Amino acid sequence: MSLPILMTESKTDSTEVADLTKTYDAVIVGSGAAGGMASHVLTSHGMKVLLLEAGKKLDIEQELRSMEWPYDNKHRGSLPPDQHALTFNEYTIRRPPYGPGFEKSKQLHSYIGDTDYTKNICVEERDNPYTGTNYAWVRARCLGGKTNIWGRLALRLSDFDFKAKDRDGFGENWPIRYSDLSPYYDKVDLYLGITGVKENLPHLPDSIFQRPTKLNCAEVTLKQSLAKMGRTLTQYRAGVTSDGLKHNKYRSRCYGRGACERKGGCDIHAAFDSPTGLIYPARDTGNLTIRTNAVVREVAVDPATGKATGVHFVDAITKRDYTVKAKVVIVAASTLESARLLLLSKSKMHPNGLGNSSGHVGHNFCEHIMGPGVYGRVKDLVGKPPTLDDGRPGGFYLTRFRNLQEKHPKFIRGYGFEGGAGCAMFPHGTDRPGFGADFKEEIRKNQGAYIGMGAFGEVLARYENFVDLDSTVKDKWGIPALRFHYKFGENEHAMAADMAETAQEMFNEAGFEIVHVTKRALTEGWSIHELGTARMGDDPKKSVLNQFEQSHDVKNLFVVDGSAFVNASCQNPTWTIMALCWRSCDYLADEFKKGNL
Amino acid sequence: MSITDRINLRQDRRQWIKTSASLVGGSVLPLSAAAATAPALQEKPEGTMEPVPKPGAGAAKGSGRFFTPAQHAYVEELSETIIPADSHSGGAKAAKVADYIDQRLHDSQDEEEKAMWHEGMRLVDLMSKHFHKKSFVESSGEERIEVLKVLSDNAQMQELPEVRFFQALKHMTTQGYYTSKIGIHDELEYKGNRILQEYAGCDDPTPPSNA
Repeated sequence: MSLPILMTESKTDSTEVADLTKTYDAVIVGSGAAGGMASHVLTSHGMKVLLLEAGKKLDIEQELRSMEWPYDNKHRGSLPPDQHALTFNEYTIRRPPYGPGFEKSKQLHSYIGDTDYTKNICVEERDNPYTGTNYAWVRARCLGGKTNIWGRLALRLSDFDFKAKDRDGFGENWPIRYSDLSPYYDKVDLYLGITGVKENLPHLPDSIFQRPTKLNCAEVTLKQSLAKMGRTLTQYRAGVTSDGLKHNKYRSRCYGRGACERKGGCDIHAAFDSPTGLIYPARDTGNLTIRTNAVVREVAVDPATGKATGVHFVDAITKRDYTVKAKVVIVAASTLESARLLLLSKSKMHPNGLGNSSGHVGHNFCEHIMGPGVYGRVKDLVGKPPTLDDGRPGGFYLTRFRNLQEKHPKFIRGYGFEGGAGCAMFPHGTDRPGFGADFKEEIRKNQGAYIGMGAFGEVLARYENFVDLDSTVKDKWGIPALRFHYKFGENEHAMAADMAETAQEMFNEAGFEIVHVTKRALTEGWSIHELGTARMGDDPKKSVLNQFEQSHDVKNLFVVDGSAFVNASCQNPTWTIMALCWRSCDYLADEFKKGNL
Repeated sequence: MSITDRINLRQDRRQWIKTSASLVGGSVLPLSAAAATAPALQEKPEGTMEPVPKPGAGAAKGSGRFFTPAQHAYVEELSETIIPADSHSGGAKAAKVADYIDQRLHDSQDEEEKAMWHEGMRLVDLMSKHFHKKSFVESSGEERIEVLKVLSDNAQMQELPEVRFFQALKHMTTQGYYTSKIGIHDELEYKGNRILQEYAGCDDPTPPSNA
């Protein structure tokens, strides 16, 4: 079998140069899932768009090297020892900023930058300080942002999420319902590709799936056992094209090569990433200009009208200051960076920051709590010949079962589990006690017998969880840092306790031997699903954006990333960010043509 | 009865640490002295499948930059005791785990970690001499296991540097071994990291339908 020839980007970087003398129809800040999607939709409507990315354009295939064997890598795939990635303990014990105390390390990364394949995708923490409460803030400044290394679980939200307030009275409803977004989820499915299995669940709507991969035997055992409990385990719904995409010359279909569990992306781009999935096709329309190394420090505003006129940015390398004009400004810098940018953009007409007449920018900050989970052993599989279990985009997703029909006495909202079973390139169980001949044999015999899962649950969107600016601490470019005021609350802790309990209960029910139970939640931020700092709503006093992610205060300002979320739900956000963004940009382009912006 | 069963590590360690202090004034000499007098590094523990290296093969060993050649030979035996060769595949020595550890420690910026390795190696050798009147390298396979078992069985004594050393040794050995060619291909017979026609998976009695 031969691999198709993929179009790869030229190695010479033409993304440093942009004509800054002209006025663009739209300028987009950020090139991740949201910025990429805005680029795709707006250029397809014929708008002339400038895309700004704070980081550089990496030679991404050289970074990811998805098929490199560990023994062919100088550090066996680990981070070079003269660099450091923050650990759970460091995030928990130390208060941010996390720079001091790591002077000996040549580079300091967030926890996700702890491999040789992710180290250049994540930012240098010391260049990008933040303060306040503990938070594992993962940032990827490079073309495509975090989509280069995302976990690929691509889930839809439902009216259980959009209208959650109607069910339990907490927070706010979204200004849309599922039927508003469903056609846009379909568009995202078809344009980017998603693999999975239809389940007809009201709380987790199906996508238009490409060919699914099979579950393995341990997973089937768990699925059957759960079915008796009325719970659903389904194949990992992955934002990965398993059949290929005829309209995209930059991406290959998934060849199930294995080692997909390695933190890091996919160098044949079967897994969605923003550059190959959205940005390069958008550039091929001739309507997109890309400027990398552009650290946006402020949205420029006309003092007379209060409308946005473009952005001011600093070149990341030369530190020179630039201004670029645009008729529409689209902020897509990631939930927390977008809030920071709005707060930084103070003017006479917008003294609390741009689009912040409600005082809600930075507030209602929410995400997913993760950590509790279980791993166990399937005795029937001990000693069986090795199988290939990681030649697929993911293992399984165990869908939400709490607070759907009945009410849990201790917490509202829900959680789901991500998990998988079977052999991996690096075996499970090397932390077992002992050493020597038995130790070695036990690892070999048990390598295919392990199954594990970990929960992701909704953190309630509360006004008192927020970020603001800390002008006493500045980043490498002299821009005030973000300060966190953020803690898990009672609802989250009660939910985390339930996660650990139900995980054990389900493994016991399936007849698995439980090897380890994790009860403790990981540090705030660990899920990398931060959301909600500029929420949508119908009431301009209680929300920042309308249902089209358009600022209530500034007509030609849109914020199209996770900050628009009204609550976090328990489903992974990327697919919803892109569906919302597509819907908003269709509206934007329409309004633009009508001259309403 | 194993050594673990008849000693209290926390209390009894004074016996061999004291002995060493009175003999050599607490210097790191025991290690280098032991290595210098080690008669035959190529001597293999009983029952291992690894071929005995040809004379002179040892010269290539210790080419790393953190360990001296004698220390390198010692770490080879330590790691081989953690993951030995067996009838299924080669062990840590064949997988050149000592080279991997040497590289990691050489590149490390963590002086505490480096010192801990030196200290741990010294203390293990003292234990070996106390119990078997021989350095670790000079000991038989069974004697080596007896010494490391004391540390493995007392994992809760985190305040003892030799216990922490054993855990670091075990961690580094498993990391090095299971990322090596021998570990991945011979030992685990890993099937992935190649182009696949179809993922085999398991037959699900309720097959999914996307129709």
